[in-house]
Amino acid sequence: MSLKTLKGLVPAALLALALAPPLQAGPVPPLVLAVGGEPEGGFDPVLGWGRYGNPLFQATLLRFNTDLSLVGDLATSWSLSDDRRTWTIKLRQDAKFSDGTALTAEDVAFTFNTARDAGGLVDMKILREARVVAPDTVELELTRPQITFTSHLVGLGIVPKARYGADYARHPVGAGPFRMVEWRPGEQLVVEPNPYWHGGTIPFPRVSFVFGAEAAAIALAQTGAVQVAAVPPAGSDAPPAGMRTLHVQSVDNRGVMFPMVAAGGKTAEGKPIGNDVTADPAIRRALNQLLDRKALVDLALEGHGRPAHGPADGLPWDQPAAALPDADPIAAAVTLEAAGWIDRDGDGLREKDGREARFTLVYPASDSLRQALALGVAEQAKAVGIAIEPAGKSWDDIDNVMHADAVLFGWGAHDPSEIFALHHGDFAGVAYYNPGYYKNPAVDAHLDAAQAAPDFKAALPDWQAAQWDGRTGFGARGDAAWAWLVNIDHNYWVSDCLDLGPLQIEPHGHGYPITQGLQGWTWTCN
Amino acid sequence: MTDASLSLRPIGFRSPLRRALIWRGGLVTAVFAAPILIALALPETGPAVSAATRNLPPSLAHPFGTDALGRDMAARSLAALAVSVKIGLFAAILSTALAVVLGLAAALDRRLDRIIGVLTEMALGLPHFVLIMLVAYAAGGGIWGVVLGVGLTHWPRLARVLRHEAQTVAGADFVAVSRALGRPQLWIARHHLAPHLLPQVVAGFVLIFPHAILHEAGLSFLGLGIPPHLPSIGVILSESLRGILAGHWWVALFPGLGLMIVALSFELFGETLRRAADPREGVA
Repeated sequence: MSLKTLKGLVPAALLALALAPPLQAGPVPPLVLAVGGEPEGGFDPVLGWGRYGNPLFQATLLRFNTDLSLVGDLATSWSLSDDRRTWTIKLRQDAKFSDGTALTAEDVAFTFNTARDAGGLVDMKILREARVVAPDTVELELTRPQITFTSHLVGLGIVPKARYGADYARHPVGAGPFRMVEWRPGEQLVVEPNPYWHGGTIPFPRVSFVFGAEAAAIALAQTGAVQVAAVPPAGSDAPPAGMRTLHVQSVDNRGVMFPMVAAGGKTAEGKPIGNDVTADPAIRRALNQLLDRKALVDLALEGHGRPAHGPADGLPWDQPAAALPDADPIAAAVTLEAAGWIDRDGDGLREKDGREARFTLVYPASDSLRQALALGVAEQAKAVGIAIEPAGKSWDDIDNVMHADAVLFGWGAHDPSEIFALHHGDFAGVAYYNPGYYKNPAVDAHLDAAQAAPDFKAALPDWQAAQWDGRTGFGARGDAAWAWLVNIDHNYWVSDCLDLGPLQIEPHGHGYPITQGLQGWTWTCN
Repeated sequence: MTDASLSLRPIGFRSPLRRALIWRGGLVTAVFAAPILIALALPETGPAVSAATRNLPPSLAHPFGTDALGRDMAARSLAALAVSVKIGLFAAILSTALAVVLGLAAALDRRLDRIIGVLTEMALGLPHFVLIMLVAYAAGGGIWGVVLGVGLTHWPRLARVLRHEAQTVAGADFVAVSRALGRPQLWIARHHLAPHLLPQVVAGFVLIFPHAILHEAGLSFLGLGIPPHLPSIGVILSESLRGILAGHWWVALFPGLGLMIVALSFELFGETLRRAADPREGVA
């Protein structure tokens, strides 16, 4: 093709575009979303804003593609040194904050160092220092290798050094796709496209987020006032006119955490540690074999979920081989008999060494979903002669008993550091991470190896080996440290005119994760 | 003061008051016994969950329908009412015992009277439900939290009535006569005090029942009472908010009616008892 014909093609193409039936004729309406997600402390990434989804106002160094692979946002290239302690990150040159000033390496270094010192929800103590080595290059030096530091490259929005101050959380300025118009805490947040954003144009003149109770979101959707609403599973399949139901898969999971050691211990504060029944691997494995997770999804989620077999189902670092076939009472009974749990007195309850197969399963009393799951698990466990007694408690009370009683917890993150914290011996009894005091040196070694990997991809086999390496692991086939139950579908009503593009598997936190691709949404009606 | 004004009014065999007493007493007995008898036949944790029977409207198999977890609402409501009755019973016993002790102590001793008077004023002055919430929370919630919460807050009115009644009787002429005749204190207590106070105690006891039952519902509704997986009217009503939004009216209607019937029957019976005991009451 000659240059001349090419030159002729351009005006022709332009003409064709102009004459083509307009795809987006008529003004695109402002978007209104009722998906929750209002941060208590405002929109400061240093204090945790953006960890659970789109930071709206700020741009990040990297971001997850819909298949959860890492792609650059502010970063054009990134590399980890051979000793796995120093990240070198090259920045794009065209990034500007919403006030028109350029984003430089200074701002990136400032953001990381501030987050390290702030000690907010972002735990970045592992960072030794962030340094500017060239106007477009930053070095992040860690105190020890930690491959999951990439989660900060993805999660930490960059703030402008010159504009960062005490009121930043209320008046955020960033290089992200949106800038703030108004925030009325508890009511709504209004944003408009940031004209300086490096990612292109956004079709919507404004986007409003309305906050408030789920019932309010449903009412708004029924009047046609919102284009996206997060709704509970009950009744989600009957959307109002002009809207469709979207069930998005998630790793927002729920599972039973087992105390892993024998009773008798005490924490420094005097809370009891250990449970003689759940400390027996046969009990934990039998429950993993027994539970009919599909039935639990039907019972507690009206079918809008997936059975969960591990903490990271469907994520790149998941090891499907770690799961055992479930809904199998016969296999469960065999496991129990082989371990000596036998119903000798015919009361329907198994015993071993004079101890009944009986334990308490604690759930947060305020959470109806976990209550339903606890009741469902208890009901199913009766079939193999294990008595599980549900107990609804406040979170304060759960803090006191969670080392000695099984607890229905929920997790699910786009970050393998979660499976590290849930199962590494160093995290035993730390916050909510490893309340059961699980410790398996082989698992710890795999988790440590993953953290020391040369890049995120290279760490994946180690994360998987921690779940099941052929001999041991924290998965059901190995130690069965948890009995994972369900992954919750996140349910939305979405306007028929709105195209959300490809969706990712969503993390913990109902509602807000849907906004991950907000800047790419399109309006398809006239 | 005439003698008649101080004794339990003799009730004619066919008097309307007597008929009301029998009829309402029978109702209370039935209301008391039915849920307890039925609940005895059910497991302690209530009916089992089942994914296959979720949100069914009332039918022959499930006369009250089923809830969002597939539990039979008839079994669940009756089990909950049995818990209600149990709570009412213990709370009323605790409260009445406190009222009798404090009321009599106040009537018989001047210094105690002043202290108990201040206590009573304080208990009556504080917002009722706030106090119950505080006590229930401090007691760790659950059935006993509700019993303590209601029991420790419902004595003042009855205590006042008993104090007044006891003082009146103690100052009456016939007591003075008995004293002059050399009757021992115990004899006076048995033959003069007890007949006057007993009807008040019984009426007060029965009247605390509906309070306790309603407060259990209120506390559990707010999450301070019975844990949500156990049967309780408060929990059922609190859960039903979601069900009603989805059009499942039966999850609220039947348990609500049950609560109303139980509370109302106790209220009516207590009121009748009080009237039977109150000499100043004109017509039954």
